[in-house]
Amino acid sequence: MLFNNHLVNIKMKYVRNTIIIILLSLFALATIFPIYFMLISSFGDPVEAGAMSYSLIPTKISLDSYKFFFDYSIYSFRWLTNSLIVATSIMISNVFFASLAGYAFSKIQFKGKTFLFGLLLCAMMIPYQVTQVPLYILIVNVFNMQNTYSALILPGLVTVYNIFLAKQFMTTIPKEIIESAKIEGCNQFQIYIRMILPLSKTVMAVMAILTFMDSWNTFFWPFLVTNTMDMQTIQVGLKNFRFANTTYFAPMMAGATISALPMFILFFSLQRYFLEGVTVGAVKG
Amino acid sequence: MIQSVRPMKKRKIKGDGAWGYAFIAVALVVFAVFTAYPVASAFIISFQEYKPLGSTFIGFDNYTNTFSDALFWKSVVNTIVYTVLTVPVALFLSFAVAILILPLKKWLQTTFKAVYYLPAVASGVALSVVWLWIFDPMSSGIFNKLIGFFGISNQNWLGSSATAMFSLVFMSWLSSHGTSIIIYLAALLGIDGSYYEAAELDGASFLQKMWYIVIPCLKPTTLFLLVTGVIGSFQVFQNAYLMTGGGPDNATTMVGLLIFNNAFKYFEFGKAAAQSLILAVIIAGIAMVQFKFLGNDVEY
Amino acid sequence: MSTKKHVFASILAITMALTTMTACGNSSNNGGTNQGNNSKPTNTTNTTNTTNTTTTAAKDTITALLPPVSGNFQDNFAQMEKEFNEQYPNLTLKIEPASWEDMTQKLDTQVNAGSPPDIAFIGSEGISKYVQQGMLMDITDTVTPEMLQDYDDAPIKYMKNGDGLYGFPGYMEVHALGGNKAFLEEAGIDWKNVQKNGWTYEEFREAIKKGVVKDGNNTSRYGFVFATAGVASKDYLGILIKSAGMPAAFDKDLKFAYTSQKYLGVLKAVRELIDDGSMPKELSSVDAGKRWNMFLTGQTMITGKGLATFENSANKNNEKIKANDGSAVQGSIEAEYIVLPVPSFLGEQPVSSTVVDGYVTFRGKKEPTAEHKENVVKAAYFLASGNVAATTNNDLFAAHITKSGRKAAESMTVNRNPDNVAAVEVLLSHAAPARPDIPVELGAKAIKLQDEVIIPKLQALLANEITPEAMFDAVKAAAIKTFGEDGIVKD
Repeated sequence: MLFNNHLVNIKMKYVRNTIIIILLSLFALATIFPIYFMLISSFGDPVEAGAMSYSLIPTKISLDSYKFFFDYSIYSFRWLTNSLIVATSIMISNVFFASLAGYAFSKIQFKGKTFLFGLLLCAMMIPYQVTQVPLYILIVNVFNMQNTYSALILPGLVTVYNIFLAKQFMTTIPKEIIESAKIEGCNQFQIYIRMILPLSKTVMAVMAILTFMDSWNTFFWPFLVTNTMDMQTIQVGLKNFRFANTTYFAPMMAGATISALPMFILFFSLQRYFLEGVTVGAVKG
Repeated sequence: MIQSVRPMKKRKIKGDGAWGYAFIAVALVVFAVFTAYPVASAFIISFQEYKPLGSTFIGFDNYTNTFSDALFWKSVVNTIVYTVLTVPVALFLSFAVAILILPLKKWLQTTFKAVYYLPAVASGVALSVVWLWIFDPMSSGIFNKLIGFFGISNQNWLGSSATAMFSLVFMSWLSSHGTSIIIYLAALLGIDGSYYEAAELDGASFLQKMWYIVIPCLKPTTLFLLVTGVIGSFQVFQNAYLMTGGGPDNATTMVGLLIFNNAFKYFEFGKAAAQSLILAVIIAGIAMVQFKFLGNDVEY
Repeated sequence: MSTKKHVFASILAITMALTTMTACGNSSNNGGTNQGNNSKPTNTTNTTNTTNTTTTAAKDTITALLPPVSGNFQDNFAQMEKEFNEQYPNLTLKIEPASWEDMTQKLDTQVNAGSPPDIAFIGSEGISKYVQQGMLMDITDTVTPEMLQDYDDAPIKYMKNGDGLYGFPGYMEVHALGGNKAFLEEAGIDWKNVQKNGWTYEEFREAIKKGVVKDGNNTSRYGFVFATAGVASKDYLGILIKSAGMPAAFDKDLKFAYTSQKYLGVLKAVRELIDDGSMPKELSSVDAGKRWNMFLTGQTMITGKGLATFENSANKNNEKIKANDGSAVQGSIEAEYIVLPVPSFLGEQPVSSTVVDGYVTFRGKKEPTAEHKENVVKAAYFLASGNVAATTNNDLFAAHITKSGRKAAESMTVNRNPDNVAAVEVLLSHAAPARPDIPVELGAKAIKLQDEVIIPKLQALLANEITPEAMFDAVKAAAIKTFGEDGIVKD
């Protein structure tokens, strides 16, 4: 391991870890403060924003804002479900197709590989503000898909970001593993399923979380292509709390808290994959 | 024996190529339809005065106008300053945190990871409300209370050009590393334990292991985070949009915000497209330099 | 093993199917990038218009993109759709909700794509932008005389541009100031008189000086706080210059007005109020939420901009304080909201800054049929008059601007301070007139100048980073560049 766990002096190790914990905690405090504020404000009364209380300690704990959030619109649950459907589909397709493409780009030799990958990367550099209108024309005017799950899901099926991420991780997989599998007569798809997937659990878990989170938090695209409340996602629905000159502050925070929950669940259910790590040796043998 | 191996090998290489194309097929279709097509449209639009009912071609006017636009260059400089101040710091912070988390007990690791990851989870709009309070210009603002302890008078954080950019940078330092930490951690755990074992047998110190094992092994990850970080930072728009609106006196106007304004506020879609393409070329140039220096072909 | 094989075979089949698809996608993609110009015609032909223009039968659907105009507005959508359908059984009104901040972006994307909704609720100042794009529908020839007669004269003019009429106004609100009654009286200000007769800048300056309360070196209460953070700063300056002899960006001869010395006078005043200590020196980052918090917690005597609905908001908080259940704004005090006029400058007549928002009618890429146009007008009129308008405007504490709305509102009760109602009437009587004579291109240039020069410089002025003279020179230089030496006011 990177750290010498068999330090000569047990006391030394204790001191070292304590210092680390203190450092990390300080940084954690600064990081978590906005979230803390989000959480305590969500327990406030459902009042308007000009009326928001700037206070570190909640003056009153009430769940009224959560109730208000669900009572505000008959679609509150529907929004959560829609988000869940969209984010899950995008997550699954990304993990599969991006890892497949990432593997091809990192380990398989084929003509035009560098060029194609370069092309993908370049496309990533064009700000979305400009591609948004052509994409909207494509989805809504050409494909006539507005207000459908397809319109929400298709453009995100597999992102360049994830392909790049997968490729970078897979370059570190030793060549010999693939070579030896080939000698055993595996074709590339078998190699991918039997060798690469188990070795890439970590990066796939990371990809799953990041993709799910990104898709869950996306506001603008779903907002553009949906036009009835029953097709909106939670992020679009949440924004309905913002009114002319006022904002229903606490319910908005309650909504934000509710909408963050699924990501927590996903995080904790996947985190063991990137706690354990993968030992190449184990797979080899 | 040798004779029979040769044709087999040839066949295999050929077969591999087909597999390669098959594996990237879906990605390429999605890319072609949902990215390449819009980008190509944007390219055409950049030579037009765009009107929904019929655009007119105006040649390179959108480009020449952009090149002579002082505000465009100011925003490019702002963006570069922002990028230089945020991306390397974010990389270093997340790298350090990822390393420091490693020796801790499992439950501590999980807790810290969750905590650092949190800001990425929460919605940006909700968080910007909180940050506006932190940077509140009156003495009731959190930051002003904090510096008040040291006897420093109130600062107009977001409202004065001396501090506005710094405030945005600071906000990014504290809220945009969750993703990087997770990715770094995943990469750290992916390093084969046998490397360390071998090094320990040689009596390598912590720093030596860092230098000879960790840093080279993390190179592809660092490259990834750097490239995507720079791309993200060049397109950054939400924070400036929500927190300062690009002010005061355009001190925090970034290219992303400018393009957004041109496309939607002024309806100069052609100009926005031209500016995006110029921006893309700039980013591509920077990315190429990064690829060159960090090399992409680390193989074992 | 056999199931494994089966799965594998099907995956392979899918992959192969996808590979063939790639070939297609790829070639079309290359065509797009390499022969950019050639792919353009296909692009336009493919882009069909989604606006419903069916002529068969008399059935028709009208789409409307509506923000939460008032607190309860979006709750009534289903009801509105139902009532409209009862009134016109062959027509369906389909309402899309959107929040204020986001709806412009959605609308703009739809407009750019050539498929906007039939009706959208937007500010009247946005009309020129869309006229320029050619995406608004002129309803002059479709609107009936009865409809036109229903509206007050001033607001409907705001929906015009050149000779065209592009929709119906929803309300006309005055941007005023709001004062805390107890503090005003404490500072010896005869607010009733001010409400009736207005005040000059000099009187106002003295008044807000008296409103300041100091606690040692710190100011515990300011005389005046206006929300000026970010783009809101344009409201501040916009409200002030209207009462300084510049009711619009162009004078009667269509010369750019903000190069007049009067403009410099107002800029100096902006600085003076801060330098006096009557307004906080951090004014440049006070946003709408912050200043309202300051008003409710007694940190300021007067606040701006003030809309009629704030009285409602203040009343509600007062009730919560009385109830004493911890739900009121932390640290807030009972505050009675008093509508106050904006001061007038340099001996000019007071002109109030008004906002007219309304239901604007759009067209798609195809020319709409006469029948569809008529239906859209019916829908827009339905939303902007009678019962719907009455309910909405009462919700907002906004004045009614249609005869049918006033009639419908007779049976509804509103709890408002009669002094404030009277004050708003006075303000509305000298509202800035609409200027449909300003050509679209000129208006667009002025908006761009405002966004690119005036707002950034004003932010710097508020933050005390440049002098009023420096800002004035910058605006003047930019104006000469945009409108030419002959296109600006010189005095």
